[in-house]
Amino acid sequence: MTIVAVPEAPSAAQPAARPPVRPRRKLVLHLAVVALMIIWVTPTLGLLVSSFRPQSVLSQSGWWTAFAPPYQFTLENYQGVLEQSGIGQAFINSLFIAIPATIIPLFVAAFAAYAFSWMEFWGRDVLFVVVVGLLVVPLQTTLIPVLKAFADWGLTGQFLAVWLAHTGYGLPFAVYLLRNFMGSLPRSVFESASLDGANHVVSFFRIAVPMSVPAFAALAIFQFLFVWNDLLVALIYIGLANSDNLPMTAAMANLVNSLGGGWYLLGAAAFLSMILPLAVFFGLQRYFVRGIVGGAVKG
Amino acid sequence: MKPWLRGLVPLTVVVLAATACGGDSSGDDTDLKGDTVTVIGTWGGDEQKAFLEMVKPWEQQTGATVKYTGTRDINTILTTGVASGVLPDLAGLPGPGQMVEYANAGKLLPLDGVLDLATYQSEVAPALVEVGKVEGKIHGVFIKAAVKGLMWYSPKLHDYAASPPATWTDLLSQATANQGAAKATWCLGIESGAASGWPATDWIEDLVLRTAGPAAYTQWYQGKIKWSDPAIKNAFQMYVNDVVGKTYGGTVTAVATNFENAGNPLFASPPGCVFLHQASFITGLGGFKSLTAGTDYNFFPFPDINPQYAGAVEGAGDLFGMFHDTPAAKSLMRYLVTAPAQDIWVKIGGALSANKNATSYKDDISKRSAALLANAKVFAFDASDLMPSAMNDAFWRGMVALTNGSKSVDQTLADLDAAQKDAYTS
Repeated sequence: MTIVAVPEAPSAAQPAARPPVRPRRKLVLHLAVVALMIIWVTPTLGLLVSSFRPQSVLSQSGWWTAFAPPYQFTLENYQGVLEQSGIGQAFINSLFIAIPATIIPLFVAAFAAYAFSWMEFWGRDVLFVVVVGLLVVPLQTTLIPVLKAFADWGLTGQFLAVWLAHTGYGLPFAVYLLRNFMGSLPRSVFESASLDGANHVVSFFRIAVPMSVPAFAALAIFQFLFVWNDLLVALIYIGLANSDNLPMTAAMANLVNSLGGGWYLLGAAAFLSMILPLAVFFGLQRYFVRGIVGGAVKG
Repeated sequence: MKPWLRGLVPLTVVVLAATACGGDSSGDDTDLKGDTVTVIGTWGGDEQKAFLEMVKPWEQQTGATVKYTGTRDINTILTTGVASGVLPDLAGLPGPGQMVEYANAGKLLPLDGVLDLATYQSEVAPALVEVGKVEGKIHGVFIKAAVKGLMWYSPKLHDYAASPPATWTDLLSQATANQGAAKATWCLGIESGAASGWPATDWIEDLVLRTAGPAAYTQWYQGKIKWSDPAIKNAFQMYVNDVVGKTYGGTVTAVATNFENAGNPLFASPPGCVFLHQASFITGLGGFKSLTAGTDYNFFPFPDINPQYAGAVEGAGDLFGMFHDTPAAKSLMRYLVTAPAQDIWVKIGGALSANKNATSYKDDISKRSAALLANAKVFAFDASDLMPSAMNDAFWRGMVALTNGSKSVDQTLADLDAAQKDAYTS
């Protein structure tokens, strides 16, 4: 699996290599893409519209009726979410959890991926298969033993506990993704570096890391979203011991009472918690497009 | 342990010692200053606010603080916590079944030495005290309670306050006589996310309690009689004929409508239905929330069916227990069940108290439902809550299938009998 940038159609480089796409086929393709996009976006759009509708209207008519008069929109739902006590602290906590829990596994996985691709050592392939095999272990099965370990180390209720947990949960996929990417870098680059006297440390920092930026960006988005949206891991490792450190997701889930009252706030809450991931995505988006072209050597 | 982790241990031990326990103290409330009690409960939103309001006087008095985590995944969280030994000081319990489990695991502590037993038992309905017992010792108390099976109506259509229907047949005939412009007898909405179907299980429970009596009711939730037993089957048939058959909007509406909004047609013009069958907590939800108690809506209790079992009432509530017996936790537990503490939540509204002496209800309706709870001749706890969770889930699902007509009464009961075989074994 390579999540790599979609290169621009290579029109300038190899004009003759490809026959020109027939206009009709192009139209069909575009229609299909637009249709898929609409299907994909509709639920989110509905949620966005609903988040601005008053509760009394929400339960009586569908969100699409909002576009016909009478136009009934309100900011009350957003106000209700922001008035929830401790929401600001929860937002900070979410950042405190999500940023290190993204950076740590990225670092570890980068080292591991380099070793798995370019260093020869005994049992390398077996070890790699074991690491990737861990992908099939559902994280729920680890909750009890890991919580026990954290309790022994006195980590429950602290940010460090979720950082470690998320690092562990994220590593198999991170190693897998980065190894595949680094493994596909041209061997000649590393060989010539080695001839020039570069050891593994130099090769890693000077060659492997700069060339793998797009993979890092893709992975960072995955990991960040996973951690940002996580409720269960935070509730188990933090919620049981110290409610002060709980992230946004816990505060949002708590807008609804035990009988389900207050559900109408959830649309607004969802959008508030989406702002940051969206910013992260748009911030890293250019790496998708640019990244690979930057450092590569023609092989 | 990794060396760098070892470095962190002393630090965290200090933090834990500061937060988790207050050291050895005599249990005197005055030396709790700086202590913390961690609490996990299912209460969110307005309930969380009410609970925090309720503990505030205790915090001011003792100088200790309450750290509250609210989550509706309480079952997952506490099961994990019990298995790994990391637990809050006090917690709302998912249900009576889990209470027994946690107590047998030795994690949930008995409250006999914590509470003022004589006062507690005199203030709380005996049936509720009984539900909180494990092997004769109180392990769970009710911080809030609800009466199930109230008949809600709009006095603007017809006021039943003067002569509420006394029997089931009386109720059905009065409903027809006073239907006026209303389109149907019942409003029914059983959608409730993953718990869809529970409002219909309440219907069955109310019918079983009043047709077959409390003894059969108990055997039923204990899994000692089959679902296809005539006593239970009768209730299912009454539900299909007298309720689902006379429902506003038909079966599809009943299954697709959220229970919160089920009562809204009561207040429409022309009204959609005459009655809504729902628990006391509905006044804080859906269309009821913005209306005035007494003038816009009112209730009468579920009428008797078999005169032999007259005066039976079904109720439910949130159990609450203690996992760590720190002095602060004990002190908070003692405080929470008292009438003055209970009065705070009662005043805010949205819940009934299990405590008879908490009487500051906002309106007459809450006062009357609390009186029903306190004075019931026969009090039964919500049967589906007392069943093992696998049985409870099957019951919910079965009621959805039965209500939307995809399964007949016999098919539903056969499914439930099959589920019963496995549900009670573990």
